[in-house]
This record gives sequence, C-alpha cells and structure tokens, in this order.
Amino acid sequence: MKLALVAALATLLAASSALAQSPAIPPAGEIVPREITWLASRPSDGPVLSTVRAIADEYAAQHPGFKLDIVETPDRPSYLQKLETLAAARQLPEFFDTDATPFADKLRQQGLMVDTAALLESYGLTDQFRPVALNYDRFGDGSLYLIPLEFGMEVFWYNKAMFEAAGVAPPSTLDDLPALCPKLAATGVLPLALDGVDGWPPQRMIAWYPFRLSGGDYLDKLKKGEAKLSDPIGVKTTEWLASFASNGCLAKDFSAQGYTDARDQFTQGKAAIYYMGTWETDAMINEASQAEAVRGNIDYFTLPLTPDAQTGANEFFVNSGIGMAVGSGTFDPLVYDFVKYMLTRYSELYANTGALSPMTYTPEKLPNDAPLYAKIVGEIPKLGSLYAVPWDTQLDPKSNTVMQQQLTLLLQGNITAEQFQQTVDAAIAENAPRFFN
Amino acid sequence: MLSYRSRIAVLVFLTPPLLAYVVAVVLPIFQSLYLSLFEWDGIFDPVFVGLGNYVKMFTADPSFWGSLGRSLVYVAVTLVFQLGVALLIANLLTYATRGREVIKTLVVLPAIVSTVAIALLFRRLYSFDPPGLINQLLDFVGLEVLTRAWLSDLGTVLTAVSVPEGWRFFGIYMLILYGGLLAVPRDLEEAAKLDGATEWQVFRYVRFPYLRPVWITTTIMATTNALRGFDIPYLLTNGGPGESSELLTTYMYKTAFAHTQFGYASALSVAIVVECLIAVGLILFMVRKRGFTV
Repeated sequence: MKLALVAALATLLAASSALAQSPAIPPAGEIVPREITWLASRPSDGPVLSTVRAIADEYAAQHPGFKLDIVETPDRPSYLQKLETLAAARQLPEFFDTDATPFADKLRQQGLMVDTAALLESYGLTDQFRPVALNYDRFGDGSLYLIPLEFGMEVFWYNKAMFEAAGVAPPSTLDDLPALCPKLAATGVLPLALDGVDGWPPQRMIAWYPFRLSGGDYLDKLKKGEAKLSDPIGVKTTEWLASFASNGCLAKDFSAQGYTDARDQFTQGKAAIYYMGTWETDAMINEASQAEAVRGNIDYFTLPLTPDAQTGANEFFVNSGIGMAVGSGTFDPLVYDFVKYMLTRYSELYANTGALSPMTYTPEKLPNDAPLYAKIVGEIPKLGSLYAVPWDTQLDPKSNTVMQQQLTLLLQGNITAEQFQQTVDAAIAENAPRFFN
Repeated sequence: MLSYRSRIAVLVFLTPPLLAYVVAVVLPIFQSLYLSLFEWDGIFDPVFVGLGNYVKMFTADPSFWGSLGRSLVYVAVTLVFQLGVALLIANLLTYATRGREVIKTLVVLPAIVSTVAIALLFRRLYSFDPPGLINQLLDFVGLEVLTRAWLSDLGTVLTAVSVPEGWRFFGIYMLILYGGLLAVPRDLEEAAKLDGATEWQVFRYVRFPYLRPVWITTTIMATTNALRGFDIPYLLTNGGPGESSELLTTYMYKTAFAHTQFGYASALSVAIVVECLIAVGLILFMVRKRGFTV
C-alpha cells in the first residue's frame, strides 16, 4: 500500500514540471454553478464546518446546481498525505486547508494558490479581519495566501482548588512553572496534562522561553540554521524543559496520551494544569462534562514572563488555526463569488456559535453567559501586537519531526539538554537549506 | 507437450492474473526504483541524483539502520506468536475432543477486527494511568514493581507494539498449521506409539517432518508480512517515543509524507522490497542446506 502510494507519485513526475500562473482577481466570465470541493482538516462537528455548510446551503438555494463537497480529514498526518499527493498531481481542489508552512510556501511559489490578500481587498473585507488573524496566516515575506476561519488564544487552564490545596499561585515567571510541580504532585494530582501523541503540544513548550527572550527573532534564525539550540537562548530553554522531567511535571505515559486523554485528565479532576487554546472553552465552561470537584474551579493564566522578557504579558500564542487556501487551478467566477458570499455571511454566523471569530464582528449579546467565557472575550481587545507562532509551522518538515521526537525524550528525562541540542542542531543544519535557500 | 487447445486455455487463464500482478506489483517496484534516483519534494521538478539516495541511506542515515534493526526485532517478536504459539495451539487442538471449533473461532477472531480497534484496545491494555489490564494484573498478583508505562518506556515499547501484530494474525497461521497436522497419517503415529515413542517423539519425528512444507510456507508468509508491518506501530506510538519504535516502514512513510522527500522514500521502499527478498532467500537457503525440499 505504502509502496504503491510512493510509486503512484512517480507517475505524476511528468505533471510536476508545468508551472501554473496566479489567476486574475476577479476572474473574467459568467458564474456557472457546479460542484466544488473543500479538502478540510478540521473537526467534522466543529463550528467552522457547520457554519460553512449552512452558508453553502444558502448559496446553493440561490444558485441551483451549486454544491460544496467538504472532504473531511481531521487527522492531520492523513490529511497532509492527501494534500501532498494532490499537489504533486496538480489536482488541488477549489479549497484546501494548510498553515503557512515551508511546504505551503512551495505551493505558493509554483502559483498553485490564489493571492488572498488581493482577494480580500477586492471584496473590501480586509478591514473586517483581526490583523493578528491575518498576520498569523502570512508567509515569511508578508504575503497572504490563506483565509483565516478561526481565532484562538493559548492559555494555561488550571484548577483553582488544586492550586489552593497545594498552597501555590499561578506562576509569575516561566521559571516558576516547573517549580510548581513538586508541590502539586505532593497533593496526589498530575501537575500538567499534556498530549504527547500529536507532537505539537510539547513543541509549544519549547517556544515559550525563546518568545519571551527574543520575540520571533530566535525562531526566524533557528529555522534557517543561522541560530542554534546550543546558543544561550537555546541552552536556557532546553535546560528549563529538562526540569519538567526532573520535577515530575508530566504523566509517566504522556507520550502515549492523546488530545482527548489530556483534556479529560484535566476536566475529570486528575490534572491541575492543561495548556490549550481557547477553542477548548466549551469543555471548560460546560460543567455537565466535568467531574464534580472541577466544576466552578476552572480559571486560566496566560504565558508567564521572564525577568528579562522582550515581549509583554499581553503577548503570547494567538493564532487563527489552520487557514483555508483557494486553489488557483480551479479559480473561476463561481469560486470568486462563493468566497465573497461565504465571508460576508461567515462573521455573524460563526460568532454566534460562541467560537472566537477571526473577524471583528461581535454579537450584541454574547452567545454564552458563563463568566469564564466573558473573561476570555474580554481578553481580545487587550492583546498586544506581537504573538508567538507554532514552531511546527515554521521549521522544515524533517527538522520538525526530529525536534518533536527528541522533545519527548527530553521531557521524559531520557536524554540531556545537551544531547537534545546536538541532535536537533544537526538536523536543522542538514535539512533547512532545502527549504530556506 | 500440451495440445494447442490446452496451451490456449493456459494462456487465457494465466494472462489476466499475470497482467494484474505486473500492474499491481512489478510496475510499482520499478517506478519506485526509478523515483529513488531523484530528489523530489512533490512540488518542484525532480533532480536526478543517481545513487545519491542509496549512498545517503547506507552511509549517512543512522535512522535507517536503527529502523532496520528495530524491524528485525519486530519480526522476531511477531514470529514467536505466529509460528511458535500458533504451532503449539494447532498441535494441542489435534488432541482436543471438545470445543475445537470454538477455540478455532476465538483465535481467528482478531484477524477480522479492524486495525484501529486493535490499536485502541492495546492502548488501553498498556495504559499506565488509569491502569490498564496488564498493570492491574501485575498489581493484583503483587508484582506492582513491574508496572510501567509500556508504550512510553524505551525498554518495552518496541515489544509492546510488536505483540499486537503477532497476536492479531496468529490464528490464521494456527489454522494453516492445524490443516497441515490433520494431513499427517494416523497409522504412522499409532505405529510410533506402539513402538514406545513419547508424545514429543511423535511430534518431533512423525508430525513435524510431514508438516515441514506447510511450516516453511507459513514461515515465509509470516516473515514477509511482519517485515511490512506498519499500521499498528504507527497508530499506537507513531514510532515514538523518539525513534524507539520506528520501523523501516513507518520511517519510509514519514520520509515521504511528512518530510516530502519522495525520492529518498522510494529508496527506502526499495530497501524494504530487498529486505523481504533477502529474508525469503535466507529461509530457502537454510531449508535446502539441511536437505529439505519445499
């Protein structure tokens, strides 16, 4: 099966040499309704897909013959396999999901994606998006080829009662964070619930210290091999990460715990802290799904500072999730018109689901009256201008895999900070030039 | 010499499966071989690198050698179940007078359960917190010192991902071996017993020699299947923690679809084919060296 997949790609070699051109915006011609496809990597029952489905139904009622076929593949590795195979065959659909990764940048360079900055400008909708949401989806040169459909802040959800029982307070500095663990563990709870199966949650941890010490500068250099993990910032970061193992912060089997396992550990009252985005707000305010001891005890704190932090307390991980790209190969008046209709309707319908919107539209009445929800919504206007970006969207794919693998070993205490630095630095030195030169 | 009509009949019946085999098996292997001579990210034009991918694989990629070594351990653990346990149960079944069909059904059952369900089942069995069945049993019999996070411990994870694969298909091999054992002439066994042979001697000198052709075929099937094992390790640990359960197959998959190095992944896929051919060659070599025929 796997051999056949790789072999199938070989047959697509001939197709790979044809360079597509970025299409004109708006495209010329009449709107001819037809079926269009969105290759999506989002939860099937999540607010994004349910909102777009409703909009597509409205549009179909006005344009007989139109249909939006959403091909859902929430599992990201499986999704990326489909995307890469279709990209190699130059068979990308009308819409597909991607982050502004080095791989997506290659698609852009080959003219396979529509310039969404120009698209939004032609609709007159640019100003309706939160600048942070748009900026998150930009490539390194500032160009925009994605449309953000989500918005989230990443916070440390914590159990107030467990903190009180352990006699600790939310950390004011990053160094305070691993120092909390022994006290929390002494009360019989797991200090920090972490999804280790997916790779990206542990990778957020390695981004915290460098963001506080340098904003995005260190990552920009590191991904190109111009900075190293054996540099002072990297050394400080990796030694700090190693202290999570020595302080017993994580579950012994966190590397085998999935996304929902980690969330359940927190909502079922087994873990004191859970780092995750505000897209999990529903699980945090829906007390019916929580253990009794957890109800009413959930609060959050944002990324702690460091004594010499270069970024502010209101600056942390803020992102717009995976973006939606518009394929250039099938871009025509229908696609242009549908995207315009979709974005015009999206802001109101999406915001009313209770999810935080990438657009500035705010409902007159909040869709949820939970105090925690109101607190989160109130956080948005206070956000700073800088935000941390996920390292897995910035590093070249091979170095990213090596970092995720080694990070698990570092957090389990299987390797030292120095071994981690050497292995990952070597991987970046070998692989980064293929993407950043 | 076949008659003209017979030759036509042979051609008519053999050509379609042969064509299907060429298209489904031979052609992809040659396509992979061709693509392995290029460096290709799936987006930009492929760059011809000759044997560069193979040179890198053999001389500059410790992950390749590590994955190869782990694949061999994976095969060994799998064969313990699919040959050892399967032969034991098949042999015991021949003595059973009641419940034989029930046992056969039960041992074959895992083979029809979906891979994802098996992965989820074993993830729960191995769970450390909350304790899964294995850790609960160890705790119950007073061996709590042995409880551990089976899928996170670098010393146990490779065996832990190998066991489900061996368990899953051992029933199929058990059935094949059981069929072979049923073909052993009963009069020979009875004659051996009348001559004073023990049950072990009957098995060693009467049953197994008869079973040998089936045994060799089973060994080849189980070995090549285990060498191509992918789904359960991928679903259980994705090769982790670190690379401690990374097999050649999962490494090849990541190289292709996570690292977008399709040329190098093709070289790895060629290595997997060669690995299987070497394994079959070694088995046949050892069999013939001992003077047996398949």
